[in-house]
Amino acid sequence: MLGLALRMLRHRIGSAIATLVALACGVMILMSVGLLVESGLRYKPAPQRYAAADIVVANHAITITGKEFDGTTTTTTVPLPEGGTVPADLAAQLRQVPGITIVAVDRSIRAVVPIAATPHTLAHGWSSAALTPYRIVDGRQPNADGEVAVDRRLAEATEDEVRPGYRIPVLVGGAYRTYTVSGVVERAVDGDWPAALFFTDHHAAALNPRPGRADAIGIVLASDADTSAVLAEVRRLSAEAGAKVYTGADRATSAQSEALAARDLLIQVGAAFGGYVVALVVFVVAGTVGLAVRHRRRDLALLRAVAATPGQVRWLLLAEVVQVSLVAVVVGIPAGLFVTGWVHRQLIARGFVPDGFPLSGGVLSAVAVTAVTLLVAVTAALIAAARTVRIRPTEALGEVAVEPPRSSRTRLVIGLVTLGAGVSLTMVTTAARGPAALGAALGMLYVFVLAAALLAPWINRYAARALGPVLRAVWGDSGYLAAANLRANAQGMVTVLTALVLSVGFGGSVWFLQDNLQRQTVEQTRDGLLAQHALLSPAGLPESAVADARAVPGVVAATGIRRTSVITRVMGEPQDVGAQAVDPDSADRTLDLKVTEGRLADLRGATVALSTLQASSQGVKLGDQVAMWLGDGTPVTLRVVALYERGLGFGDVTLNRETVDGHTATNLDDQVLIRTEDGGAALTDLVDRHPGSALIDTAAMNGELAKDLALSAWLNKLLIGVMVGYAALAAANTMVMAALARGRELALLRLVGVTRRQVKRMVHAEQVGLLGTSLLVGGAIAAITLVSVVRTLTGQPVPYVPTAGWISIIGGTALLALATTVLPIGALLRTPPVDGIGVKE
Amino acid sequence: MPAIVGGSAETAVRVGQLTRVYGTGPQAVTALAGIDVEFHCGTFTAVMGPSGSGKSTLLQTAAGLDRPTSGQVWIGDQELSRLSETKLTKLRRSRIGFVFQAFNLIGALTVEENIHLPLRLSGARPDPDWLGQVIDRVGLTDRLHHRPAELSGGQQQRVAIARALAMRPEVIFCDEPTGALDTQTAAEVLALLRSVVDQTRQTVIMVTHDPVAASYADRVMVLADGRIVQDMPQPGAERIAEHLALLGRRQLVAQGS
Repeated sequence: MLGLALRMLRHRIGSAIATLVALACGVMILMSVGLLVESGLRYKPAPQRYAAADIVVANHAITITGKEFDGTTTTTTVPLPEGGTVPADLAAQLRQVPGITIVAVDRSIRAVVPIAATPHTLAHGWSSAALTPYRIVDGRQPNADGEVAVDRRLAEATEDEVRPGYRIPVLVGGAYRTYTVSGVVERAVDGDWPAALFFTDHHAAALNPRPGRADAIGIVLASDADTSAVLAEVRRLSAEAGAKVYTGADRATSAQSEALAARDLLIQVGAAFGGYVVALVVFVVAGTVGLAVRHRRRDLALLRAVAATPGQVRWLLLAEVVQVSLVAVVVGIPAGLFVTGWVHRQLIARGFVPDGFPLSGGVLSAVAVTAVTLLVAVTAALIAAARTVRIRPTEALGEVAVEPPRSSRTRLVIGLVTLGAGVSLTMVTTAARGPAALGAALGMLYVFVLAAALLAPWINRYAARALGPVLRAVWGDSGYLAAANLRANAQGMVTVLTALVLSVGFGGSVWFLQDNLQRQTVEQTRDGLLAQHALLSPAGLPESAVADARAVPGVVAATGIRRTSVITRVMGEPQDVGAQAVDPDSADRTLDLKVTEGRLADLRGATVALSTLQASSQGVKLGDQVAMWLGDGTPVTLRVVALYERGLGFGDVTLNRETVDGHTATNLDDQVLIRTEDGGAALTDLVDRHPGSALIDTAAMNGELAKDLALSAWLNKLLIGVMVGYAALAAANTMVMAALARGRELALLRLVGVTRRQVKRMVHAEQVGLLGTSLLVGGAIAAITLVSVVRTLTGQPVPYVPTAGWISIIGGTALLALATTVLPIGALLRTPPVDGIGVKE
Repeated sequence: MPAIVGGSAETAVRVGQLTRVYGTGPQAVTALAGIDVEFHCGTFTAVMGPSGSGKSTLLQTAAGLDRPTSGQVWIGDQELSRLSETKLTKLRRSRIGFVFQAFNLIGALTVEENIHLPLRLSGARPDPDWLGQVIDRVGLTDRLHHRPAELSGGQQQRVAIARALAMRPEVIFCDEPTGALDTQTAAEVLALLRSVVDQTRQTVIMVTHDPVAASYADRVMVLADGRIVQDMPQPGAERIAEHLALLGRRQLVAQGS
């Protein structure tokens, strides 16, 4: 049977290649997704910074308990955006626990050493050096406030390699200070965390932006300690102080949050996307295999008539598909590895995963992908085989083997019910606000695409009937023939319609949604910035910078802006929301957030301003009390004093600067917005007075913002591009196979007197009919989704669709028609019609 | 009573009260309206009749390719109506051969592989002597490794006959085997079928339009409106043509009234 299958495959090499291409691309995508997920799962962060500590007491995440609609309690753990802290005096209590040799308080303070090639570092107190450990290689430890011990990596990155006794400038706490190098230290553990500076513990505590708090407390046990007893005591003391205890591999989480976030990103994106890809591969492969079977109906009927049992026909098809799948695996897995290499480099280059995040594994992914592919292909073949069992052997006797029209009533009913569900979701989407509407809109997208797939035979049939007069009017007799063909091939072109509706529906909504968000964000920022200038500093700006700016003659207003995040509860689920903290006195002169209710000037004490989107998703009104957590996990309850529209541009939450004071990692401002009189002001002095800062035109900030947004949109666009591309490939496959199977029909037409030109016009008319219907259905689905999502997120009633978007959708479809039908048909028409007819097939 | 002509009195194929109705309700078309007939071993029967008379349906149901609406079909002493699709296929491939008007062959396989196909699918061991004899008889010795597409229509039909003979079936059913062939080639194919009956005493049942083709048979049966209207021992091509012409006229009169 295997040999026979191979012979049949070789004879119908066209459809075998079509199936192979569909499967190999599927394998490639699955392999790539699999490898990224496997790398994420295999990633075990080494306990770098705290390698020498047995126990780390810290607060990396907050656990929030919520109630589901059905009354069950759920707990969700959210990483703290600003990094949590523990009380520093917990260290004194921990020192009392027997069996502990070292208890070191670690405070990580952002610092900049401008003379180094990589100037950004973290400064710590000296006692925490034991937690890695760092060893002195030259000189001694810092003993006075003006002394610093320097990481050797940092020392080597300076021009004339810093040695003990040198005086170096360090930008810390928003100001330059000069320190004497007391010694050079070297870490005993490898890793890619930034180079360190060590001050005395006293000085580090003084510089700490969060007085009385520590980022972590590291504990080293005595060699003869009873580990479980010590751990129990540490846990008890820590719980009392509201801190968590980390041991083993978890000790790493504090320092390597970036790599861990990358790990979670890979696992989450991969798992979600992988599911869609598997579904899509099933659909594409089932469609291609089904079509290949449909084109060989007569062969299979003959086999049935002559000698083959239904079981043997099923085995024959399975053997064929398995052979093709194995080739697809052999081709697809190396291709997948190659593509993953590219994606990995792009993810690093675009900052989605940190440099040095390894791609690891591959064997497991390859095995899993092979198993999934074979399973998918065999399932597709079994579905197709179930259809062939209905092939009557008597069909072999006929002049032509035509498939009887299959209008399964069940499919129609399910399709109509799905369509009904889609329509009712439209109502929900229109009525709802905020994330509920967003979820409903995406659900609606899936439901509509599914409904189109189920109803595809009927859509094709009705479209052919409705388009008949149009095609006839434009293309004359060719149009008449085209309409008849569209009606007759309604079943065969189901895959094409579904694949194109999916491509246009998904591509048109998700892709353009990114463009809309980007455009709205940039627009809101541009319109909302009343200040002409901004003073920026990566090391942070002290409060004095605002005062300095206000003192410059010609300055109307200056506002310090601190960017942070808060955690709010949206529909019971804790969410990290972008926030800004401002000084309410001047904010309304430098910023226009487009306040719709309340006043920004009222942002005093325990108050908050929310974007209308955020307020509606939390279900709060002006004057309500709203509970949230600051970036370091501190719970606050604030009164809503203003609602504003420009949440995309400025963050959904605006806080009073006093509220976040002591709760952000640097406790410094990120930028100072400066509004000057028309004549301008001499602001260059400001830059000199605040080293490390830069003065930019606020118009230039938009460019930066757009670049950041384009970066985050890239991943979404990559994922949707892969799906759309794969669906389009499915459509192309089906169309090429269908076109090449028409030799006999076209020869017959030409023999009865249809000219070659008329045949070509007929094919063009068919393509316009079929692809036009797909574009219309897909476009309608995309439009409904896009309008509701964009209206929810930006308040714009009409979404923005870039001209290039229109052109690429219509041009891409036209190209598809040209490459997959017009060219193959042209080739068929070059053979004399008598060769195409006749009893031979 | 149906005539018994030539051969032994052993029955190769028998149908009893056979009806076949296509479709349901008002659109239902009766193709066979209760037919009783026996075909004896070692005979060559031509089934004739105007289009729509039910002759192809009779062939398909008698050969187990299609299931009757009611009535029975026996191949030898095996009744078909209770057999599963798989059992029916196994019976077909061991006891029945087919030759259709066209598209008899699998394009992917060579002449030899096409001839071996039923053997291969049934898992039976080929008998090289017999196969050699069959191939020799149909005159395809030098064409064994060609593809069907490289053969003429007559050659393709001869391959089909060779395939039908490969399993040494009791009965060979032919549906217009010469319909797509010119007179000379048709004569060769018919002579081959005749020799199958005469030399190896197999049974041939052939549906045809052509009185000349029917003149190769031992017995000619004429169907109209799903019933047997004539059943006669070989009357000669001219009388067959007369009968058919008469039948055609009668139908016209019936329609005109």
